[in-house]
Amino acid sequence: MSLRRDELKFGWSILSPSLVIIVAIIIYPLLFSLVASFTTYGFLHPFFNEFIGFENYKTIFQDKYFWNAIYVIFKFVFFVVCLEFLLGFGVALLLNRKIKAKGLFYTILTIPMVMAPVAVALIWRVFLHPELGIMNYILSALRLAPVNWLGSGKIAFWSVIMVDIWQQVSFMILVLLAGLVSLPSEPFEAASIDGATSIQGFFYITLPLMKPVIVVALLIRVIFGFRTFDLVYILTRGGPGVSTDVISYYIYRRTFMGLSVSESSAASYILLAVTMVVVVFLYRAMRMQREV
Amino acid sequence: MRVRVRSKRRDKALMDAVTYVLLSLFSLIILLPILWMIRFSFTTKFIAYSIPPVWFFKPILENYRSLFADYGFLNFFVNSIVVSVCSTIIAVPVAFLAAYSFNRFRTGGRSVQFGVLALQMLPPIVLSLPIFMLMKSLNVLNTRGALIASYLSFNLPFLVWMLMGFVEGIPRELEEAGVIDGASRFQCVTRIVFPLAAPGVMASGILSFILCWNEFLFALILMAEKKSTIPIVLAAMQTERGVMLGTLAAATVFAVIPMLVLSIAIQKYLVRGLTFGALK
Repeated sequence: MSLRRDELKFGWSILSPSLVIIVAIIIYPLLFSLVASFTTYGFLHPFFNEFIGFENYKTIFQDKYFWNAIYVIFKFVFFVVCLEFLLGFGVALLLNRKIKAKGLFYTILTIPMVMAPVAVALIWRVFLHPELGIMNYILSALRLAPVNWLGSGKIAFWSVIMVDIWQQVSFMILVLLAGLVSLPSEPFEAASIDGATSIQGFFYITLPLMKPVIVVALLIRVIFGFRTFDLVYILTRGGPGVSTDVISYYIYRRTFMGLSVSESSAASYILLAVTMVVVVFLYRAMRMQREV
Repeated sequence: MRVRVRSKRRDKALMDAVTYVLLSLFSLIILLPILWMIRFSFTTKFIAYSIPPVWFFKPILENYRSLFADYGFLNFFVNSIVVSVCSTIIAVPVAFLAAYSFNRFRTGGRSVQFGVLALQMLPPIVLSLPIFMLMKSLNVLNTRGALIASYLSFNLPFLVWMLMGFVEGIPRELEEAGVIDGASRFQCVTRIVFPLAAPGVMASGILSFILCWNEFLFALILMAEKKSTIPIVLAAMQTERGVMLGTLAAATVFAVIPMLVLSIAIQKYLVRGLTFGALK
């Protein structure tokens, strides 16, 4: 019994450095914002003395740009996650076939994922330049009309989505491929003896067995999609107008151009709450996946 | 029957061909933009901007020279390295002990496990504002120390999560044998478990280095442009009037290529890291 207690004491003692750092760098700042979101704290008025309840949240909820940012981020996350999933699943199925040079394809896939999002955005910004970019040159070579990729309110959103897919689709491929590789082969053999086509096999065997992996992959991408900032900062700065003003960029703008710390804190807590809801689902899904 | 077998074989050959074509196309879409940027870094401004593209030209190193001579790129390069290395070197041992503690003693139980996951998934914008205020009140804005500390906020949870998996793979019997031989509990961790986990620790460390190297938001908020890291100088070069495409491309090459080399070095562990522990 005392041995067990010694063990636990040792466990906590080696955990303590992490706890100290996490409290100092994460928990304390988070509490700071939480308190700030209920006061009139600001760069010009850095005090916590005026408690104003939910006023800051009310202000945020009445801000039409906040609702625009929420609309933009949900639309963005919905489309990138769906498109990356469909494309990623397709490529993962191809890579799961018995083919040569798998290692080479695999290595190429991982390249965009280790690149700085800023660098990716810059490369694409150069390519998407309306007159000097290679994309419009390709279009003109195909006798198609040039596109104002980042300057048109309607198209810029889709251009950002395209760049995000270019960089992040590999995540989906890697996770889904790992899921496919670990599928048991017996159900497929049994099904093919029973005369099932490969398409039936996909819908009735692959998909149900892959469900846990798919859920985890989708949720992680949703969470990381909500964070999107670097791409927008470089490609469009939230524009044209506010057509690509994702929530992170909105909060950044509000803080460092609007100088309202307390209101931004309220907005960031709303983002935090949304993210944490998804994390709860993710945690459940991950535990289920490990028990299976 | 024979006809059917033959047609099946033909189907397979056709499917293989389709697979290779599609995968090659996909690979090209990934590789071409990167290769094109590398090409830019060896061209004059005139060639870089010419449409239709000039295919044959004499590569020049002028952009790289200018990057260091005119833009003081070395300074940013050193900053990036110092900040990323320091933050990783602080985070790895701390995270390893935490991962060991969670795995062997279940300290804090499931709620802690959830906590580590949640911290890892925290949107950086939520933290960046209060960390900015914190650093400001400590009067350490524009110092490397502030950036190193702020990077721990994502490094540490990421490493704990990754290393938990690696510690789990090391059998407990070895430690028990160590204790019987008279080693202290702490010695068992540092002399037995840590060396055995070393390859995984190394790979996780490299991944966390890559995360720091690529980080943008904290560097943007906590550091003045002149004192910041490579992603910030990239963003700044882009907004300058009359952007020098070749120089920008050279800077991008410097931002990207070292990470590609590192990632190939840890290929075996890369997927696990890049998928944030979604896979076992």
